[in-house]
Amino acid sequence: MLNTDPPSRRRVSVVSVVTLVALGGAVICGLAIGPTPIATSRILGFLLSRVGIGHSTLSTLQSTIIWQLRAPRLVLGLLAGAMLSVAGGTYQGIFRNPLADPYLLGVAAGAGLGATFAIMDVGGGNYTPSWTPLLAFAGALAAVGVTWAIGGRGLRSSAATLILAGVAVSALLTSMQTFLQQQASATSIARVYIWLLGSLASASWSSVGLVAPYVLVCIAICVACGRALDVMSVGEDESRSLGVPVRRVRIIAVGASSLGTAAIVSAVGLIGFVGIIVPHIVRLLVGTSYRRILPISVAFGAAFLVFADTIARTVIAPSELPLGVVTALVGAPVFVVILGLRRQVAR
Amino acid sequence: MSIVEVRELSVRVGAKALVSNVSLDIEPGTWCTVVGPNGAGKTTLVETIAGLRRISSGSVSISGRSIAQMNERQRARLVSLVPQHPEVPLGMSVKEYVALGRTAYHGLIRAPSQVDRDVVHSVLARLALEEFEERDVVTLSGGERQRMVLARSLAQSTAVIVLDEPITGLDLRHQMSLLELLKTQVHEGGLTVVATLHDLTLAGQFADRLVLLDRGAIVLDGMAGDVVRSPELAQCYGMKLRVVDVDGSDVVVPVRS
Repeated sequence: MLNTDPPSRRRVSVVSVVTLVALGGAVICGLAIGPTPIATSRILGFLLSRVGIGHSTLSTLQSTIIWQLRAPRLVLGLLAGAMLSVAGGTYQGIFRNPLADPYLLGVAAGAGLGATFAIMDVGGGNYTPSWTPLLAFAGALAAVGVTWAIGGRGLRSSAATLILAGVAVSALLTSMQTFLQQQASATSIARVYIWLLGSLASASWSSVGLVAPYVLVCIAICVACGRALDVMSVGEDESRSLGVPVRRVRIIAVGASSLGTAAIVSAVGLIGFVGIIVPHIVRLLVGTSYRRILPISVAFGAAFLVFADTIARTVIAPSELPLGVVTALVGAPVFVVILGLRRQVAR
Repeated sequence: MSIVEVRELSVRVGAKALVSNVSLDIEPGTWCTVVGPNGAGKTTLVETIAGLRRISSGSVSISGRSIAQMNERQRARLVSLVPQHPEVPLGMSVKEYVALGRTAYHGLIRAPSQVDRDVVHSVLARLALEEFEERDVVTLSGGERQRMVLARSLAQSTAVIVLDEPITGLDLRHQMSLLELLKTQVHEGGLTVVATLHDLTLAGQFADRLVLLDRGAIVLDGMAGDVVRSPELAQCYGMKLRVVDVDGSDVVVPVRS
């Protein structure tokens, strides 16, 4: 049974420590598990040697596998899980809507259309894979921009107007994407489809380097919004009367969440469910304060996605399950359980 | 000098004027209650004084400063609001909720200071909320909840407090005790109260001054005893009212015609 009393300090500390241990476990899984078995202790030795302590006992091939294949994939997974989770939590706080996820304002539909453009090569010439993330990023930002322009401008625009604008923009962009796909070759459609499912398989240090600066700054901004979101849980008018510049906070929080999500989506495609379930699980564990939910979601989401990716790349090895499928397969049942718990609380 | 100055204030939504050409001066340390039938513009007027509504024309000043010129944080240190239907967030403790009143002082990034914590503590004690301070806000009864919302407002340490129908949904005892509590703050703390109330008897008993509003405009503005006895009051409500003296207090009774 769920306890509705505010959680004790002790419980929050325990959850934080367990989450950090899980994060450590996820890092080890991400590096140690794979088709080439390498002992964890030797991986640790290799990592220490990279920062100048001791020396590595790995062969050149093994260190290449760790450093060029598994490490960037791990880091991208950590960034993606952290960003999507904190963005979902931030959206849920800003819109005071438990169903808000990072794709709410059209990021997914915009990125999808951008990627479809790139993959189907609408401009003519040959398909260049490197265009996909760029167009996806541009599409995602443009979609959020349009949503904001429609729903966020009016004098007394409310959070609900913005959500509705997001729904409209998403529907429009998705239909454009479907129209394009309908004209495309089967190969292009397959590529678009695979991209939409999300994957960390193409991770490299350069893709990590491309998104990491945006994502780290955006995560920091979202976490810093925690106190503002706590005050805003009493609603728009009341938080204004308490001294919160509601519109400014909304622009900053939505901006950071959307920019970070767009960067992640451009690198790994659409990974569903992480942004919605991670903050909910954390909320059940540590209570409703965003000052606790957001930082813990960062660590929890990072660990969750890396574990999911480990499953995605091992269960049917040598081929891979799409990461979006794994997160949804785990995410949907968890979500149902949470809804059940919530119903019990309401009674 | 008056602490609240409303000058020729109009608030319009589209073509409809919710408040038109209202001027009002309220002395510090007094209690002013706005009465009037449903739809008279009471809530709009007091929410505008609290800085939540856009002013169409005219001005509202508190302590000599125009509220339209201030940002949210500056305003929240001058005037606080007890709304008619406060939103009660799930999973927050009473103490955390009351501490929200200090937001304008410590800001959105920094943690509350020792002064903030002391203020919260003293407000909780003054309003006899200490025994509930660790409870989840949603578990409180209606009376306790309303006292908690008042506590949050007092924690804002403002000179002016605006209350919109603060006793809606409370039983008689809790209505009286909440208003008495507030009256104590006016007498002892020099607080200025601007409130709306539907109950004309309680409005007359607690306020120093009543402002009768109808269709957005002031019909009558005067001492509580004079306003409840005025023919204008009955006229605004479109019914017969009688004022009965019970042990020196005015009781306003509606009469079937």
